[in-house]
Amino acid sequence: MSDKPFFVGYLPAPGPLRTFLLTICILLIAGLGGAGFLMGAAQDDPGPGAFRFDYGRQTVTGVVEMTPYPVIHVVEGNDRIKPGDSFMMTAGGKAGVDGRAMPLNGQLAQVSGVVLERGDLYMMQVRGGQNGLQAAEGDAPQITPEPQGRWQLTGEICDGKCLAGAMRPGRGLAHKACANLCLLGDVPPIFVSTQPVMGEEFLLVIGPDGTRLPREAYDYVAQFITAEGEITKHGDLLIWEIDIDTIALADEGTE
Amino acid sequence: MSVKYIPVQWNPNKWLYDIVMLAAVAAFLWVFLYVTPEVLSHERAINPQIHNARAFGACAFMMLTVILCIGPAARLDKRFLPLLYNRRHFGVMTTFVAITHSGYILNWYFNFSSSDKYVGLLYANSSFGQIAGFPFEIFGIFALVCLMILAATSHDFWLKFLTPPIWKRLHYLIYAAYFSVAAHVSLGILQDQQNHVFTVMFMAGAAAVIVLHIAAWMADRAEAAAKDGAWAEVARVGDFREGYAKIAKLASGDRVAVYLMEGKLSAISNACAHQNGPLGEGKIIDCLVTCPWHGFQYDVRSGRSPAPFTEKVPTYRVRVMGDMVEVHPDANPPGTYVEPVPLPEPEPELPEEGVTT
Repeated sequence: MSDKPFFVGYLPAPGPLRTFLLTICILLIAGLGGAGFLMGAAQDDPGPGAFRFDYGRQTVTGVVEMTPYPVIHVVEGNDRIKPGDSFMMTAGGKAGVDGRAMPLNGQLAQVSGVVLERGDLYMMQVRGGQNGLQAAEGDAPQITPEPQGRWQLTGEICDGKCLAGAMRPGRGLAHKACANLCLLGDVPPIFVSTQPVMGEEFLLVIGPDGTRLPREAYDYVAQFITAEGEITKHGDLLIWEIDIDTIALADEGTE
Repeated sequence: MSVKYIPVQWNPNKWLYDIVMLAAVAAFLWVFLYVTPEVLSHERAINPQIHNARAFGACAFMMLTVILCIGPAARLDKRFLPLLYNRRHFGVMTTFVAITHSGYILNWYFNFSSSDKYVGLLYANSSFGQIAGFPFEIFGIFALVCLMILAATSHDFWLKFLTPPIWKRLHYLIYAAYFSVAAHVSLGILQDQQNHVFTVMFMAGAAAVIVLHIAAWMADRAEAAAKDGAWAEVARVGDFREGYAKIAKLASGDRVAVYLMEGKLSAISNACAHQNGPLGEGKIIDCLVTCPWHGFQYDVRSGRSPAPFTEKVPTYRVRVMGDMVEVHPDANPPGTYVEPVPLPEPEPELPEEGVTT
């Protein structure tokens, strides 16, 4: 047994041990402080998406289209949103506006809410009840989808709302459960392509034959995948009808 | 040591321990929460809820890493033993930090949907058949449950109620919690990192825990390697020092502490009745063996704590064969008096032929 000083908890620490313990205390405090700095400063950029409360409440009129996710094709815009723009709609929280939009499918409607914006990705969180989405007077122009052929794309399926800025970061595997909850709540899903498709990085992704994104695809949400499917242009919005059978995990280097 | 239960038996060392621990935790959280946002050059800031969740989660991991390093460090270098003294407060604090982390996650990622957030936590991601995208939250839940069990049973009441061996085994859950946290982090945030500083720190922390435990295990093994037989060899007569012990590991795996007090040898179990602390690493203070962990004391001849305390540990028979001190592997019932064996004078080493002294 060594002659080293012996510590008993309820007695004063032996003199020779005090210097050692003081050093340990300083190292512990400084070490955890330093670790906090390194870990905190190593966080990745969550991207530019955000709620644009600074734009103020936006109110426009347009044609509602169930794609099957509700999209509005603007007919009468404002200073910020121009006629011819198409954007997706969502409700507050992790919920879509399907129930309110479905009766207005193909009709003219007035939408009002706050915009979420991430680059080219635009989405509106509409106000509650009729204030957010209500039928408008006038004739609704016909929206004719324009087929763009079959494409193989590489990228990530996200929920459109978090990606657009409701959460920062709003994508990635750590966010997968949240994204799934949003999709289950009818928030429109978005495919983030690694390569621009006809100038667009973000596509609304749906299931075969104009159905919702199938549950089978949820396993691939937030993963880096490659898949094939038909692309159609609705207004100025690209919609990708993903072929579930072609989904495969992609290497990070694949583009 | 105590004959009644009170929430915390405070003393100056415990206060000091907790102040240092809280200062270290506060330093980590303050720097992470308030200093690093000024350093990050993001176009738009990370959501405060996510930033907070990351800060508390990372802090809990670091705390758990430190806690698990203390044990093996103390086995390798006894100067670390004081860090064991109030480690349970460190553990309870870790649980609160982890609960805060889970609170931010629950109230952000799993909130705002039509389903209850606790229900959402369990069903939102069911991709159990894959590694990438695996619902890593389940590992976090398991680790948190383990930590809560450990925190809830950390008081001496539970130690007494469950008995030290069961309590000790229950508290090995800390290892399950740590592995679960490692899986939680590996399958979660590490999958998304572009900046790998966090990954490196995470791996360094986990490696420190593993390496220290292996080193301590090897040191114990080497110490026990030379000791075997019906009567277990403990040490040579000349190796004993007044007031200290030599530890023998029996074939059963139990350890015996053989103490030299007032020139006589006595053997007691190496496991303290309090928390199985290593009595053989303590010393004789006021004629009593004193545990290095929490200062519990025993009469080395009977294994009994002095009145009014009631703790008892098993005793063992000792004999001296030639130059070797041996201990019989059959333990006496806790508290059994055994007559101490006088330690003979060590045989003087004979000078080699041709060498004058």
